[in-house]
Amino acid sequence: MRFSFFLGEALGSMRRNWVMAMAAVITVFISTAILGAVLVTRDNLNQGATNLKNRVMIEVFIKDNSTPEQVTALQHKIDTLKAQGQVKSYTYISKEQALAIFRKRFGERIVANLPINPLPASYQIQVQNTDNVDKVAALFFNDPVVDNDPGTHNGVKYAKETVRKMLGTISLIEKGMWVVTIIFAAAAVLLISTTVRLSIFARRREVEIMRLVGATNWFIRWPFVFEGFITGLIGAILAGVFVWVGNWGIANWIKSTQIDFLSLRVYRLWWQGGTWPLGLLPTLALLGAFLGAVGSLVALRRHLKT
Amino acid sequence: MIVFEDVTKVYDPDVVGLEDFTCHIGKGEFVFLVGPSGSGKSTLIKLILKELRPETGRILVAGRNLGTLRNSKVPLLRRNIGCVFQDFKLLPNKSVYDNVAYALEVVGEPHRSIRRKVPEILSLVGLAEKTNSLPHEISGGEQQRVSVARAFVNHPPLLLADEPTGNIDPETAVGIMQLLVRINRTGTTVVVATHDRDMVNRMRRRVLQLEAGRLVRDERRGSYDQVTEEADDAF
Repeated sequence: MRFSFFLGEALGSMRRNWVMAMAAVITVFISTAILGAVLVTRDNLNQGATNLKNRVMIEVFIKDNSTPEQVTALQHKIDTLKAQGQVKSYTYISKEQALAIFRKRFGERIVANLPINPLPASYQIQVQNTDNVDKVAALFFNDPVVDNDPGTHNGVKYAKETVRKMLGTISLIEKGMWVVTIIFAAAAVLLISTTVRLSIFARRREVEIMRLVGATNWFIRWPFVFEGFITGLIGAILAGVFVWVGNWGIANWIKSTQIDFLSLRVYRLWWQGGTWPLGLLPTLALLGAFLGAVGSLVALRRHLKT
Repeated sequence: MIVFEDVTKVYDPDVVGLEDFTCHIGKGEFVFLVGPSGSGKSTLIKLILKELRPETGRILVAGRNLGTLRNSKVPLLRRNIGCVFQDFKLLPNKSVYDNVAYALEVVGEPHRSIRRKVPEILSLVGLAEKTNSLPHEISGGEQQRVSVARAFVNHPPLLLADEPTGNIDPETAVGIMQLLVRINRTGTTVVVATHDRDMVNRMRRRVLQLEAGRLVRDERRGSYDQVTEEADDAF
């Protein structure tokens, strides 16, 4: 393959048909940017949901006057639940630890004036399945060690209704995002192949002449494939940078407000696990280049029938 | 070089392109195809290039049977056939040099020999001065000479010309024809489809006359029009 010849042909034709080339770049840019935005949002929501799920936690407060044996019995009860697969993990927070957390959150001054430590020790329990949080919490309601006010169960605190509703909403949004992702991916392919088809239609005479002088189909294709590849690459790199800047801006804005419960992530451009096995920018760039090249191939097909 | 045996080509809604056409064109011949528009001249040329496929009949070009030639081999066939068209069919964005060089790039010719062969052929057709011009910067006659140079740069055994002088003034046309004759003298078979009465009458070469897709005359040193006595013989 005459790489330099084909590359030269592709670059030359992009320079000559720069309006068309720019239109194609913008098309790729818009479609991959939308796709990228959808994917980043989905990833962020996922992250937020995981975060919220970790907060679906049962806190069991222990009476100050319980004996060590009673506390051990409670721990044993939790261990049993863990063995049964109902509880994922738990931590014991002693009175001193509770005070340290309190101090960190509300400041030294308040704590300094306290004559005694009023905070109870507690177990923080994470359930295996967030849907079962009620059932697991109920098991501790009437435990003698639990620090209930008379006639209530307020010694056991667990995920409020709102958190669970929010989780439900997020999982709904996530499902919707999948649909949107698929729709936009399809739209991107169609847009790109239409653009390439237009530019090839404008040059069908060229293709005809190439065939007449005996160019093989691949000889004709390569410059177009290179052109599509370069176009897709440029458009997608622009889109990747755009999505990254958008993500950075929005994440910082949300952090500055008080609604950071989702703990949005600022993605790095290069390396990222999970949805972005190659990182945001490389994934989008590869995708764009691939779409461009494939778009060219598809669009050329009808002109290369022998 | 070219053999047609009972070839019929019908276009989609039964428009006849060529009907029961049989002829034999030998190696090194110079043949004029004449006849009114729509008589089948261009169909004939497209069949030779395997741009079209006949409904019935057999076509052999340089010993290859086009009916059994695989699609992937069609480019190889075309590299052995130089083509000149009425509308020149030059790549508009490429210079004169690059247009000719393209035919060599396609064949995979090494760059060194491209750099040698292109100026050679351009000076042969008298365009050494216009190497870097774009097609729209030169005259029609010059464009046609570029197209002839491109067709001949590979030294193909067969050269087809479809109305090569159709868009050119008569004096320039003579130059193009002389070029084709020179190419013919190197041993290349030349087939020229034309409307140019004066040209055919002056050159007195073999003439194949087509009418409504049928061969009505095949004359060795013929003229454009059928002479009356011969017409009596023919019918």
